[in-house]
Amino acid sequence: MQRTLAERGGFIVSTGFYLAVVAVVGSLWRAAADGKGGTIAGYGAASLFWYIAATEAATVSLNMRLIDDIGTDISGGAIASEMLRPVSLVAVRMASEFGRALPRLTTCTLAGAVMSWIIVGAPPGLVSAAMTVVALALAIGCNIAAQHAFAAIAFWIRDARSAWFLYQKLVFVLGGMLLPIEVLPGPLRLVARLLPFVSMAYIPGRFAAGHVEPLLLLQQVGWLVALLAIALRIFATGERRLQVVGG
Amino acid sequence: MTIEVEQLSKSFSTGRAKRRTLVEAVRDISFSVEAGERLAYIGPNGAGKSTSIKMLTGILRPDSGAASVLGITPWTHRKQLARRIGTLFGQRSQLWFELTSLQSFRMLGAIFDMSDLQLATRVGELGELLDATEVFAMPVRNLSLGQRMRCELAACMLHEPEILFLDEPTIGLDLLGKQLFRDLVIRLNEERGTTILLTSHDVADIESVANRVIVINHGSVIYDDDVEVMRRSLFTTKRVEVGLERPVIVPEIAGAQLVEHTETVARFVVDTSKRSIRDVVDAILEHLPVADLSIVDPPLDEVIGAIYSQLAVE
Repeated sequence: MQRTLAERGGFIVSTGFYLAVVAVVGSLWRAAADGKGGTIAGYGAASLFWYIAATEAATVSLNMRLIDDIGTDISGGAIASEMLRPVSLVAVRMASEFGRALPRLTTCTLAGAVMSWIIVGAPPGLVSAAMTVVALALAIGCNIAAQHAFAAIAFWIRDARSAWFLYQKLVFVLGGMLLPIEVLPGPLRLVARLLPFVSMAYIPGRFAAGHVEPLLLLQQVGWLVALLAIALRIFATGERRLQVVGG
Repeated sequence: MTIEVEQLSKSFSTGRAKRRTLVEAVRDISFSVEAGERLAYIGPNGAGKSTSIKMLTGILRPDSGAASVLGITPWTHRKQLARRIGTLFGQRSQLWFELTSLQSFRMLGAIFDMSDLQLATRVGELGELLDATEVFAMPVRNLSLGQRMRCELAACMLHEPEILFLDEPTIGLDLLGKQLFRDLVIRLNEERGTTILLTSHDVADIESVANRVIVINHGSVIYDDDVEVMRRSLFTTKRVEVGLERPVIVPEIAGAQLVEHTETVARFVVDTSKRSIRDVVDAILEHLPVADLSIVDPPLDEVIGAIYSQLAVE
């Protein structure tokens, strides 16, 4: 957390960037919903704005190049110094990233809520708003764990940039970052529901749009546990085959 | 024994797919280190020094052989060992650049399960020992290299390790910084009995800090003896570089061989086993219009070349 607060400039810029994206994308969706008679796939114009505010907060709060950064640390050997600590390397990294994301998430959530309230009115429901906060924290956890699992490919191929590129697209489309997955065609929607990426954007967005579906929180918790286990396992295997040549 | 190594080997595969080849980084090395020793583990680039250290700290798994560090097999119980050793890689940082060193120490203190009181006491001690109390409060990204290395040393000493692995710790430091760092390492060893395993390309690091030297080349140990013995037999050459005030004909200086001479510079090689460096410098000052004078050690490659020559003779 202290690391994020120490980088005040980047912190302010990313919050400004977040508000700009929510204003533009949210307004586009509002206009699209108004053009379609007020709703798209069951979401009203105001709900869509709140949806985008939540999904963007869930993704913008994280280091957007996390996979690339982890991959560089693995292939460049910087990870070696971290292996000299008496704790799980990946657990410390994930805890550190979660701590870094929290101030951004708090600020984006508050700023996004104020802006959405001003532009489209009060949140669709108080219970769903409270669930959004929980879902956002879980979304960050799922995202960090998944990015570590993807980045661990660098232990084998020494370059995680391709994994980073693929991951971004998956969260963007199948995670519901840009649009609710209900808008996707049938088979793609089914695939999206079965994959973990919905836990990283769609679920907090769904709550922010006013839907009270506690099972979605359970789904997030399930994915969080699974993704943590996968990341820990892949890192443990990767650490055993680490090749760091030279100083 | 604090460290025991038996026929440790490690290879890396390089190249792609069908052209993949195995490079032997470390080949059947064996040695042991007693508690409180200051061991210089040296060799040219690519000799296998860092790979050895990474195996002894548990980062890398060897292909064959055995090692015990404080009674622990490093690569099977890395985290357990990490509580008892400290490691400083001169080319890597263990501090967080966005934070001050003190904030980094708090994070490391939590990682090593230190209480607030333990941490505060330890940081106070280290601040005094390293003369770095004020430096600890500065953001790491604003520190000079010398200041950062003092903070790095504090970071790896925080949990009171029994062994310090120092991998090229003086790289990039200026002369004063290097000397200060060497003095600190010796103090840590003498006051706390910390075992030191040091790698360096700087002959002066080895002469100043170590009491024993192991030379490794092409993955194998080629020399293992006391520094005093090595100094008497191998560190007998110094280079003297003289800046000249004006062009002169350089006269013969007893005990010094003129190897290069231009209008502004004269370079000599001195065999100190034949004439002391002090006598040679006195003679140079007497016979030449000296504007500037420096004495440097031979590069490590030359020392290792001398070891090879000695081995060939034996």
